[in-house]
Amino acid sequence: MIIIAVPLIPILAALVALLNPRLDITRMMTVLGGIATLVLTLILADQVSQHLRITVLPHWIGVDGLSALILVLQGFVVLTATVYSWGYMKRVTALHPRRQQQFYVNFNLFLASLFMVPIFLQPALTWVAVELTTVLSVFLVGFDNTPQALEAAWKYAVITIMGATVAVLGIFLLLWGLLALHVSIQTWSALTTAASEMPVDQLKIAFVLIFIGFGTKVGIVPMHTWLPDAHSQAPTPVCALLSGIEVGTILYVIMRLWPVFEQIPGGFAQDWALIFGLISVGTAAFLMIQVRDFKRLFAFSTVEQMGIILVGLGLGPAGHYAMLYQFLTHAVTKSLVFYSAGAVFLATSTLDIASVKGLIRISPVAAGSLLLSGLAIAGAPPFAVFLSELAVFRASLLSGHIIVLVLLLVFLALAFFGILRHLNQMIFGQPSHPRITLPRSVTLTLVIGWIPVLVLGLYLPASVHHLLTLTTLTLRR
Amino acid sequence: MDQPLVSNHILANVNSVVGASFLLSAVVLMTQRQAQAVLQWFIRQSILLSVSAFILGWLHHSAELMIVGLITVVAKAILIPQLLVRTLGPEIRSRRELDFIVNTPVSLLIAIALTVLSYFWVAPLLNGAKETILVNLPVGLDVLFIGVYTLTVRREAVPQMLALMSIDNGAFYAGIAISASSAIVELAAGLEGVMVVLVVAILARTLARHVGSTEVSELTHLKEGLREGESS
Repeated sequence: MIIIAVPLIPILAALVALLNPRLDITRMMTVLGGIATLVLTLILADQVSQHLRITVLPHWIGVDGLSALILVLQGFVVLTATVYSWGYMKRVTALHPRRQQQFYVNFNLFLASLFMVPIFLQPALTWVAVELTTVLSVFLVGFDNTPQALEAAWKYAVITIMGATVAVLGIFLLLWGLLALHVSIQTWSALTTAASEMPVDQLKIAFVLIFIGFGTKVGIVPMHTWLPDAHSQAPTPVCALLSGIEVGTILYVIMRLWPVFEQIPGGFAQDWALIFGLISVGTAAFLMIQVRDFKRLFAFSTVEQMGIILVGLGLGPAGHYAMLYQFLTHAVTKSLVFYSAGAVFLATSTLDIASVKGLIRISPVAAGSLLLSGLAIAGAPPFAVFLSELAVFRASLLSGHIIVLVLLLVFLALAFFGILRHLNQMIFGQPSHPRITLPRSVTLTLVIGWIPVLVLGLYLPASVHHLLTLTTLTLRR
Repeated sequence: MDQPLVSNHILANVNSVVGASFLLSAVVLMTQRQAQAVLQWFIRQSILLSVSAFILGWLHHSAELMIVGLITVVAKAILIPQLLVRTLGPEIRSRRELDFIVNTPVSLLIAIALTVLSYFWVAPLLNGAKETILVNLPVGLDVLFIGVYTLTVRREAVPQMLALMSIDNGAFYAGIAISASSAIVELAAGLEGVMVVLVVAILARTLARHVGSTEVSELTHLKEGLREGESS
């Protein structure tokens, strides 16, 4: 029953936000909901480590290694986002405090939709959950009601819904394959078992439609155009959720179908993942050099990171562990980067890189966290992403993909340079704004957010290693 | 030949005619220059989708497909158009010409190319397939492609939104022929309808209120290498 409770908790918090006029209670319920969901997801992950899978409703709802990993990461990012929202939203909506109620209703419903994606055992239901994440987050992206925010929300809705509709035809093709084989159960595992009996052309067409369809919402280049807009215009806690975990949650759907598509002969799916992964990393690295808005800088970094994860997926079984490791470190680091960027926005009220100077004197906490988390996401030691990227490099070397390794190294060096160049401009020099103190909840979130980034930068705890290993089993046939 | 088989054969032929009309509706929808006409063609297209769902439901004795047909006709031929007219009435009724990025003859050529492409792409799956699949799968994929193209070349919110739902029609037109027996089809159809109304209609209204028009090509604030106030 824990599985069902996880999405139910944010729904309850949304109800509280809707019915209760007192904002303090709403905020408290949202944070308590965040704590409860993290605890429940950790319990679930522990149970999965022991029993491999847990099923609540056979063929409908259940959790295995891969979904447990996604749930735990969601739980962590959700908790930090709820704590962060407390002080952040209070300050940015100071002129219209009642708007916070609308924010918390939408926010909690969006969280519920996120938690639904990994718990369904049927592709069609998962697709519906993915659609819900779009519907419920689009109002959060346009929350500021500025022309820019509405433009971002419009692009986000239109392009990602289009992608999802393309993907649904791919799902229909897979279900057709099951029906043709007289398999009435339409679950992920039924698809994996039946894939070897399905016509290769059918699998190929389904793969292309699903890869492009869901890939649009993951932000794979060239379908990424909406991502930097949406992920930079939304309020910061939402940006952290979108970039930190939402795109990953959608990538989960592609991962879930990977054992099906890996059965297409000739490494068809792997080649697509490698090519689009590298294109995404390369394009994002170049665009990161010329951005002028620091939240867009980190949104492009999400495109880059999704590219690395796709490359890991394309390396075959040798890359699966490294890919999941990268997935984990990206989720914790990217959310932290956005929390730091949001702190800078609170201190300066601008997103323009050139307008921020001497941040270290305006807010030492925001400046320190931004610089170090920027370095962390760029892949510098001793932070988490460094070790996971090293694992991806190692996997490409071991699987004999030398060209992939070289290209990755070049693109990542470019991205590193891009991030550092912009941050350097912002952190040092004469201060452009007066000194401020950050809300306590923002500082607290930064402290919580730094813990996994530092710990995973030093070593990989045995329990995490065990969960990752278990997850790689899910990706195999 | 006994009576039911003859009527089934006739129904399958009717489905082929519906398929041709469905494809035609996507092409006409692509070329219309007034918002009201685009909306009317979208309604016709949705009705054709539901007719096909009813025919296939009858042929395969599938109550699920009948429900899909019902949901489609209620949501897309009645509810969504009503909602759009109510929220964006003047925008839809205005007689001004809509903007295109690509002119009509070129768009028609592209539509032909997409039709050929979609047929050849799914041709390997059609060997030995049922007559209804032979029609619905390539036509559905083609309408999906034409819808994506239409969405890309339209420059205003209302026609973009209708193109988006036309893509949806294409996907479900193929879907009803190939994954008929499951309850999933109506789940997805229903949810998709509600979602599109929710998101797009409300958003477009807000957009109109804040930006002054639903001309989305004017939305160019978010670009690399440009500062606010600069134009491309």
